[in-house]
Amino acid sequence: MIIPVRCFTCGKVIGDKWEDFAQRVKEGDDAGKVLDDLGLTRYCCRRMLLSHVEIIDEIIKFYEVGRKQQIGPP
Amino acid sequence: MKMEILERDENSLRLRIGGTNAAFMNALRRIILSEVPSMAVDDVVIIENSSTIQDEFLAHRIGLMPLKTDLDTYNLPENCICKSEFGCNLCRASLILDVEAEDHTITVYSGEFKSENPATIPVSGKIPIVKLAPEQKVRLEAYARLGKGEDHARWQPVSMCAYKFRPIVKVDSKHCDLCGACVEICPKNVLLKAGNKVEIKNSDNCTLCQDCMDICKKTPKAVEVVWDENSFIFSLESTGALSPERILSEALNILDGKLKDFLEQFAGKENEK
Ligand SMILES: [Zn+2]
Ligand SMILES: [Zn+2]
Repeated sequence: MIIPVRCFTCGKVIGDKWEDFAQRVKEGDDAGKVLDDLGLTRYCCRRMLLSHVEIIDEIIKFYEVGRKQQIGPP
Repeated sequence: MKMEILERDENSLRLRIGGTNAAFMNALRRIILSEVPSMAVDDVVIIENSSTIQDEFLAHRIGLMPLKTDLDTYNLPENCICKSEFGCNLCRASLILDVEAEDHTITVYSGEFKSENPATIPVSGKIPIVKLAPEQKVRLEAYARLGKGEDHARWQPVSMCAYKFRPIVKVDSKHCDLCGACVEICPKNVLLKAGNKVEIKNSDNCTLCQDCMDICKKTPKAVEVVWDENSFIFSLESTGALSPERILSEALNILDGKLKDFLEQFAGKENEK
């Protein structure tokens, strides 16, 4: 839903690297290179960012729209 | 025992340790993983949470963020003089989060926690904790305390702590026909083909996979990977809660304490006889 704070396997903090990663990949940088730059050397940490989808962004849209139409969240 | 620092940066440390054995190295590793204390949030009192994330999910995320640890000021709750379940200023620090999204969606970061002790703050201020849509609100109070990795992984001061035997890579240049297959197959680029011989670039990076030996067509093999069972490469990566040196010295103190305790009990039993 939202980027996990730590790597599931080794426990390295990866949450603080997500926004940099997402931004740079969106701009067209090579994902592998960005991960190297962020200091994520183990494949357990690399998959955390590579495979993540920030679903909370999709859910929050309903609350934004709900407010505009003066309909509160359920 | 001989020690040499191979690499050292902000949060990680790599050592070459000679003249010891696997039993000692493993004791050190296990103490670092499960007994060196560090600070993490243990209790969260949620006053208001209208975000899309549930209370327990939010508390879990807050627990996982590493906090800068001051081991000299704080006591482990079980050793604290207060003997109270709720804790005192010497065994607990409170952090407050009070955020509200007004007219646009915001991301709340770990840096927005206000701590009663300015030394006990999240290691990184950029960890997203929750996202809030307009008019959503989060108000909570989090209590951090010292704990050990054996109780929960959030108290583990390291994200990686491992050792391996020191690899010794040998190339017999008399036998080698310079086919270059070993140079190519090595996943860590330990070998280097320079002119008319194969050189060893950095044997400490070798993972002892022995792929280079398997691919060598010569008999006897022109390249050989062996290891020294009394010499180790030890690497440690801190979460940032404590410095790598402090983690190591703290682990050694704990091991020392255990051995002293053992010796005392043993002496007691001897006297009983
Ligand atoms: Zn990892
Ligand atoms: Zn206390």
